[in-house]
Amino acid sequence: MNVVFTVIYLIAALIVVTGFYIQSNKYLRSMVMTQAFQSLLIAIIAILLGFQLKQYTFFILAVLVILLRSILVTYFLVAKIPKNKNYLYESRLPTTYYLLVDLAFIVVSIFIVYSISFIHIISRIFPESNIILFPLLLFFQGLFIIASRRRTIAQILGYIEEENSLILMGTFILPVPIIIESSVFLDVLILVVIFSIISIEKTEHKPVEELRG
Amino acid sequence: MIYEILILIIPFIAMGFYRNIKTTSIIAAIAEMFLLIPLYFNLSDSGFFFIDRITYIFILMVSSIYLMSLIYSRKYIHNVKNRGISENVYYILMGFFYVAMEFALMVNNYGFMWVGIETTTISSALLLITEKSDISLEATWRYIIIVSAGVTFAFISVILIYYAFGTLTVTVILSKGITDSLAVRLAVGIALVGFGTKVGVFPVHTWLPDAHSEAPAPVSAMFSGVLLPVALYVLYRIYEIFPMRELFIWAGTISVLFAAIFLGYQKNYKRMFAYSTMENMNIALIGLSTFTLAGLVGSLLLLLSHSFGKAGAFYSSGNVFEMSGTKSIDSVGGLIRNRASATSMLLSSFAVTGTPPFGTFFGEFLILYSVLSIHFYAQFSIIVLSLFLAFVSINFNISKMLFRGKSEYSQSGINTVIPLIAAIISIFIGIVFLVVYHEIL
Repeated sequence: MNVVFTVIYLIAALIVVTGFYIQSNKYLRSMVMTQAFQSLLIAIIAILLGFQLKQYTFFILAVLVILLRSILVTYFLVAKIPKNKNYLYESRLPTTYYLLVDLAFIVVSIFIVYSISFIHIISRIFPESNIILFPLLLFFQGLFIIASRRRTIAQILGYIEEENSLILMGTFILPVPIIIESSVFLDVLILVVIFSIISIEKTEHKPVEELRG
Repeated sequence: MIYEILILIIPFIAMGFYRNIKTTSIIAAIAEMFLLIPLYFNLSDSGFFFIDRITYIFILMVSSIYLMSLIYSRKYIHNVKNRGISENVYYILMGFFYVAMEFALMVNNYGFMWVGIETTTISSALLLITEKSDISLEATWRYIIIVSAGVTFAFISVILIYYAFGTLTVTVILSKGITDSLAVRLAVGIALVGFGTKVGVFPVHTWLPDAHSEAPAPVSAMFSGVLLPVALYVLYRIYEIFPMRELFIWAGTISVLFAAIFLGYQKNYKRMFAYSTMENMNIALIGLSTFTLAGLVGSLLLLLSHSFGKAGAFYSSGNVFEMSGTKSIDSVGGLIRNRASATSMLLSSFAVTGTPPFGTFFGEFLILYSVLSIHFYAQFSIIVLSLFLAFVSINFNISKMLFRGKSEYSQSGINTVIPLIAAIISIFIGIVFLVVYHEIL
């Protein structure tokens, strides 16, 4: 494995660490900024692969990630965090408990990934490694954030993390045509806009009696 | 190719007349119905669009229910008191929603199909808050986050298909015949969970009753009648690559069983119809998964007939809600005094529970026959039991609403006629099938 690929491997691991950080964070603004950083890391991976494999589509991908995820989505989300002090963070968040459950969730996920032989889907770009595991870990982390957090912003961050994992997976396995990738980006952007409309009146989600059963 | 492009463009032209959008949307929807005639004789089997006879039935379904929902919306949406979105925005979103569904059906690329399905979520999400309340906001959010998270899962399936074939073109991949490899197996299996979220497969169905019960009646009709079948169509196109018969039929069977159990204790008539949709979609999934001619014909017949029957059921629900102001089954009674609403509600409930001679009955019959023909006896028994439970639960609750107690509900106008027409079309489909295809039986 050459130096560039080793660096990519390390960045991929760092992306998973950012997932843990978002999960354990109480402060909404900090969570949003970590998402921006996570997206930036994905863009860096795309740029490195672009240079290494001499494929211009990776550069387009990197530009799209930076422009739409790191800048636009982050801008929308930060603008929607209420200025009221009570809404800046999620109080009574059992951080340690969440981290432990997240860890357990990920161990189970890895087990599932191995048991369904997903790991045998060999990366076309890293044929001699299990790098595919990193985007899968990020995907399950995103799911766990959606399931465990109550704040609208936290849940949308979980969704964005899921989408980030797909870009990473596509990048590692075999990048899908850029026009489809672009549509995915636009979808997420519009979803964030819809979120901003709903979040004006609904900042937190709890079980509702009328929606049971 | 011109007809497909026109189908996608005409709703946008209607949106251009913003001030008169209520009328122009209906005119556009009628024009779309007329376009279906030349489209039938010019189906596309290559290029950017792929429309075969199966796709055509889905397109027909979407266009018909869209037109009926628009006509029903004119009065219904106008009467909504606490609107979350303006009337004009409602019609624009309906137009986008319609185009997204047609796009997902017609496009000849698995990646774009995914984009189409995801766009249906985006375009329909805000329609849920037309009747704005704290509960509808929560239902909207659940719809967005659960469906989007699920459909995101389906994108892994798209990546794997691209990995396995090096292309996403549906016709190219299907022309290779049934292909077995680890990537393809994973792609088909993951698609069941991913697109299955939108189809209403247990346990990823949880958004379905919330969204259906809180959406305004014409939107519920679109969701139930056509949105879920469109997702099922995309799932079927992936299933065709490598039919994992056992997995899909078991998933469908378990979903039908749970839908029947959930139906047993419903107190809200719109949620009840939502679970009925879950039941019907999964029976159609089972029929398609048998990968037999009888299963395919049965599923298409069930879906077509169900789309009209369920649209009628939701329009009737809308009428009942307008008259009574409640969605609770126990709070509605004596509906029989209002003949038009009672008749449409009764016929619709018969339609969605597969009562003869509705098309749904023949569809379910063929699907059960196809399940038996491939020797899936355990699944057959569970499905029959579930169908019986669902039939009893729904018709018992509807009987209570119709015959128990007294009421002074009154309603007239076109909105009492539309559900009746929808239910009658559902019978008509059954009778036409009986006359034309009686030799199959």
